[in-house]
Amino acid sequence: MKSRWLALLLFGLVACQASESSSGIRLPMGFIPNIQFAPFYVALERGYFSEEGIELEFDYSFETDGVKLVGAGELPFSLVSGEQVLLARAQELPVVYVMAWWQDYPIAVAAPVGSGIETPQDLAGIQIGIPGTFGASYVGLRALLYSAGLTEEDITLDSIGFNQVESLISGRQQAVVVYVNNEPLQLNASGSPVNVIRVADYVDLASNGLLASESILAEDPDMVRGMIRATLRGIRDTIEDPEAAFEISKQYIEGLDQLSPADQDLQRAVLAESIKFWKTDRPGYSDPQAWENMQTVLLEMGLLAKPMDLAAAFTNEFLP
Amino acid sequence: MTALLPLVAIGVALLFWEGVARWSEIPLFILPPPSAIGERLARSIADGSLQRHTLVTLSEVLAGLALGAVSASLLGYGLAKSSTLEHALSPYIVASQSIPIVAIAPLLVIWFGPGRLSKVLISALIVFFPVLINTIVGVRTVPTELYDVMRSLRATKAQIFRKLEVPAATPVLLGGLKIGATLSVIGAVVGEFVGSDQGLGFLINVGNGLYDTPLVFVAVITLVAMALVLYGLVAMLERKVLAWRIVEVG
Repeated sequence: MKSRWLALLLFGLVACQASESSSGIRLPMGFIPNIQFAPFYVALERGYFSEEGIELEFDYSFETDGVKLVGAGELPFSLVSGEQVLLARAQELPVVYVMAWWQDYPIAVAAPVGSGIETPQDLAGIQIGIPGTFGASYVGLRALLYSAGLTEEDITLDSIGFNQVESLISGRQQAVVVYVNNEPLQLNASGSPVNVIRVADYVDLASNGLLASESILAEDPDMVRGMIRATLRGIRDTIEDPEAAFEISKQYIEGLDQLSPADQDLQRAVLAESIKFWKTDRPGYSDPQAWENMQTVLLEMGLLAKPMDLAAAFTNEFLP
Repeated sequence: MTALLPLVAIGVALLFWEGVARWSEIPLFILPPPSAIGERLARSIADGSLQRHTLVTLSEVLAGLALGAVSASLLGYGLAKSSTLEHALSPYIVASQSIPIVAIAPLLVIWFGPGRLSKVLISALIVFFPVLINTIVGVRTVPTELYDVMRSLRATKAQIFRKLEVPAATPVLLGGLKIGATLSVIGAVVGEFVGSDQGLGFLINVGNGLYDTPLVFVAVITLVAMALVLYGLVAMLERKVLAWRIVEVG
């Protein structure tokens, strides 16, 4: 009887695995369904991925899990922030950044208008809330402090989870670390206007883009080129017609079409703000200097023990 | 010889794990062998980081366990003695247990700040229910004949509480405390996951963020050890407090 149950369990697991592998490529997005992924929704809806022979599925798991799956060769691609590439390679994960999507690092520090906190120098001596002392938020803040000749010792840092809006409005924090395209818009909409100190205005860091496994680059370079081509078409379409992209996104983001008109407008504003980060004359291109800067910041933070071969961490070879 | 069996079992399991990890050349970030975890453990102890984070989590766990156990025992006694109170509150207490702790943890961080208080409260919340239920069961299972005996001896309410209800309910209450002791560790770590810059939950986040899987294992193993020690302490307390009962049964 026991062996029958065990056989059933094993069969179930194999069946799950089989159905998963036969349904195409899963792309870890690193976040929940969100309007900032509109280019992917557009590219999927308009058949750009299918034209490249790619059947794409979205996977909304954690960013680090996606990187590990790509590093383990379980998945070919993942969306990541720039610092994750260097941190992963430092632990010998065979991953390469193949397409820059966000041209600037989207992290910033927000403080109430009238607080006098307007430049990185103004951060000295104040209390700052951050989701956690890891990930893009932490790297962005440390880069901002570094640009002003400050260190973490010069501020009071509180890990507050993803409660930046509530913490700033309630006055628990004097400033909070945010994504430029998200929390500042929420704060402004809720009647608490903020100054935004953008990391990108002070230091150029490698930002969000497409990660691939070294094995897929070697075994199926055409698929990598196809994936990048389709994604860039989705980005271009979204930049050219944000309203159409917003309408398409309603099919992929549960509850988006149920939001009140005011909240839908807020999501449109998030998309418009995100689009500013995607515009470039060289779509997909990775700037080597941005990777040098990222490495400098990570070394200064102690997150990297020694400099690495940056040429192996990113490539522009597969861009159209 | 029988006492050594668990040690032999864990030794064989570790050897098997080490062999599989080395033989199959599984990358370190997927499954580190025990030797790599041991090496990372030694480094964390040498730089003092493991002790620092462990003490933070332990202080949250102990405070949460104390707060949860005391408040649950008091309310549990009230519910056991008053059917009106039980009818009024029980549906809400039971319903509250269906709320995932991870869903309300961010709210507690907003309400009570990112410091240790929010972690202590999350830990207390998770400890509360098993202790509450066991207190009610413990008090309710006191045989009515014993109440009759106490009353026939003209015992006061305080004497009945001290001489009858507390000793009679203690075995069941300590059973709830054993469960609570292990759950309190989970509660504190959930709080640290949501927003924290210290503690073993934070260390797991750091390990994940840096793809330092051996560090994640070090933090998890420390948490398991902490839960086992707490469970053992409650078991020791149980043996001490209930020594009279064991002697009687023996």
